Amino acid sequence: MAGEVIIPVAYVSGTSWFHKLHPIPKLIWAIGALVLAFSTRNPLFLSCFFLFGFLLIILAGILKNYFKLLLILLPISLSFIVLQSLAPAFPRPWISIGELGPFTLYQEGIYSGISLFLRCLAAVNFASLMILTTHPSDLFTALHRIGMPHHANFMVSTSLQLIPIVQREFIIIMSAQRSRGMKATGFSSAIPCIVPVFAGTIERIQQLSLSLASRAFGSKGLKTNIREIEASLKDYVAGIIGLGFTIAGTWYLIYYRVQLDWSEEALLPNWFSKVLVVGSALIFIGTILHFWRKAKG
Amino acid sequence: MSMSNIIECINLSHVYPEGFTAIKGINLKVKEGEVVAILGQNGSGKTTLVKHFNGLLKPTNGTVSIRGNDTAKQTVFNLSSHAGYVFQNPNHQLFATSVLAELEFGPKNQGLANDEIEARVEEATDFFELNTIINEHPLRLSFPLRKIVAMASIYAMQPSIFILDEPTTAQDHGGSEKVRKFLRKLQDDGKTVILVTHDMPLVAEVADRVIAMWSSEIISAANPREFFLDLNTLDKTKLQQPQATALSHRLQKRVLNEGITLTVQETIKAFEKVVNQKIN
Amino acid sequence: MSRLPSRKVTPPMTKEIIRIENLTYQYAHTDKPALVDINLSIKKGEYIAIIGPCGAGKTSLALSLNGIVPHMTVGEMRGKVFVDGIDTTQTQVRDLAHIVGMVFDNPEYQLSQSTVLSEMAIGLENIGIPRDEMLKRIAEALEIVGLSGLEERSPMALSGGQQQRLAIAAALSMYPKVLVLDEPTSNLDPMGKEEVFAVAARLNQEKQMTIVIVEHEVEVIASYADRVIVLDKGQIVNSGNVNDIFSEIDSLDSIGVRPPQVTAIASGLEKKGYHFKNLPVTLDGAEATFSDWLKQDKA
Repeated sequence: MAGEVIIPVAYVSGTSWFHKLHPIPKLIWAIGALVLAFSTRNPLFLSCFFLFGFLLIILAGILKNYFKLLLILLPISLSFIVLQSLAPAFPRPWISIGELGPFTLYQEGIYSGISLFLRCLAAVNFASLMILTTHPSDLFTALHRIGMPHHANFMVSTSLQLIPIVQREFIIIMSAQRSRGMKATGFSSAIPCIVPVFAGTIERIQQLSLSLASRAFGSKGLKTNIREIEASLKDYVAGIIGLGFTIAGTWYLIYYRVQLDWSEEALLPNWFSKVLVVGSALIFIGTILHFWRKAKG
Repeated sequence: MSMSNIIECINLSHVYPEGFTAIKGINLKVKEGEVVAILGQNGSGKTTLVKHFNGLLKPTNGTVSIRGNDTAKQTVFNLSSHAGYVFQNPNHQLFATSVLAELEFGPKNQGLANDEIEARVEEATDFFELNTIINEHPLRLSFPLRKIVAMASIYAMQPSIFILDEPTTAQDHGGSEKVRKFLRKLQDDGKTVILVTHDMPLVAEVADRVIAMWSSEIISAANPREFFLDLNTLDKTKLQQPQATALSHRLQKRVLNEGITLTVQETIKAFEKVVNQKIN
Repeated sequence: MSRLPSRKVTPPMTKEIIRIENLTYQYAHTDKPALVDINLSIKKGEYIAIIGPCGAGKTSLALSLNGIVPHMTVGEMRGKVFVDGIDTTQTQVRDLAHIVGMVFDNPEYQLSQSTVLSEMAIGLENIGIPRDEMLKRIAEALEIVGLSGLEERSPMALSGGQQQRLAIAAALSMYPKVLVLDEPTSNLDPMGKEEVFAVAARLNQEKQMTIVIVEHEVEVIASYADRVIVLDKGQIVNSGNVNDIFSEIDSLDSIGVRPPQVTAIASGLEKKGYHFKNLPVTLDGAEATFSDWLKQDKA
């Protein structure tokens, strides 16, 4: 349908080892990956970590869906390279590696940009591994078993269901307002589109809460689960490995952070850095335009 | 009343990007001033078809013309001044802080001068009898009233074609009656009305022509009297005759020997006639 | 052309399942009460239809049957509502869930889970039903509403009629004694409407479930309801069997409710001086009435 831009954050059914793994170790790995990725800027470590995650994704058989997600995240991540190279999030002094029109590119910026880019992708790999191979109900059940309050879990899993619904509503509302002569661009189109989405979502949630209360939501006492989530030895082992790797890895990265800081060395030839910055900018802008045009229909 | 074709579909098909064929081989001519009802179960292609009339959808095959102009080359913005689309759920269109602002929205988008906007808003307010609630917040109005406001906001754009998506759904009898009244007014004013609806009594009352859709195609195009006698199509599309029509149809075989009736009033007259014939 | 099951003839059992005493309810920030001095008794197994114009208080009345009014609304309540002997003002909505099942007008707004099975399970999980029992109840309920085999389907991929039947099944799995449906077909196409009415009729006729349904589809109500309650401006203005209620055309017209078309036809002819022993309210009844009447040789 014209105007459809669906964000592919949803469970993909399958029978890989990862699908069968208990949700908790997967959650540990995802959080651990985030911690590790943001514990260092070392591009070698981050690249290897990214590739490791990528390998696991291939083994899980979710490559196609992962690529759909990447299609949106890659351009956004590439924008970090552009922004960082122009204004590095690094203590001065900065080493200049050349000019690009009115802009000066800095070595620390390139380093910082690339590491931020790799951090995002590495973390996203493991997050995707978890989200794409875990049925929301299973995650909800597992969290409930380890003591998370019933309501909190439910809120999260229901919110995930709401994402495609709200997207769909937004598209309908855009069509409705365009039928009244509204032009689809600019700030003037924001309020006529956003107000109905908000009002509709609030009404939906109010009705849902009545429906759930009518089905005893909020009851005191024992809750049961229809889904069977039993942890086996391999799940415990996977969880412990994940936890151990995260702790040990984080310690190592922080302890050796000085040796791992390669920002002083020019990792890439200057011309390549320039191409990288320009290329990233073009891909980022091109992607925005593509989705903009697709949303317009 | 002009007899030209205001809407013309020639071999129209629409296949969605995912590969789903929503409509195929649609050939349809609508004369100016006609009230055409488009019927069919959800998923039959009704909404896909009418979305072509204001350019929200463009054909993947065939053509759609409004007043002889191919819609494929026109924007929704341009077409919205000719074909006004009132969505089924008024909550998808209402966003402003007053009914007045809602009515102004369309004309403002059309880039009209302030005095023209004011004139059109006043006309819409009078036509739909919204004077007492003109300053109310639309979201504080009852659902039936919101539907009327949505219709009025499209009316203010003064299109010659009105596409009404389920105008009487989720309405009580009072709300339905209001919609019927305004539909008849539009008809009297010579507007072309495309009515997407499940309300069979409404169809019987106001439609000049009935288009029945099933499985992406038009399977019947007839006047209401012919349509409600076409039991095959009714069965296929799982639609039912209005009760008054069903009654006259059942009695037609045994007692009436008259044509079927479409409305309560018509049935009363027909029965009276039969009884008077027996007396005379 | 009717495809719906025919009207039952067995009288309802006499045990009272719902008693409303002097119920008055006013929502906060409104200048008029939504319900005024409602007194109502509903017996087990009855099929009760509540009709009236928009704003008459029908939804408020329906929601008072499982405690949503007053516990989940803001306002002032006087009077009492007893369901199966339990005072709803003293009991939370969640604790009434296994006595009164509630189905709302928008099918989609009631659904929040990724599969039909998990949607069905929510209620049962909340009240701690063991897994085996859960599966049994779910299978039963899905069978009654005709959705067996769709357990793994996403609720959002279902048709409107299927979604509403799912909402009914979810309520049924809690084994309620009463099923309240608030305008359940207003957002459905004709096929969906028929599906929902058929399920409600089946539940009432085969399982003796007490049904309270707020509806505008008077032609269908006339075929199924044991009793019709007419509301206007928060008050019960009339109550009785379908024949009595729908015969009072002028009274219904004055509050903005229309009778079945066949009744309107008979009433219109009466106004022109013709006479009928009873005004018909169903198509079959009208066929019988009018074919006799039209055949008569009048002098």
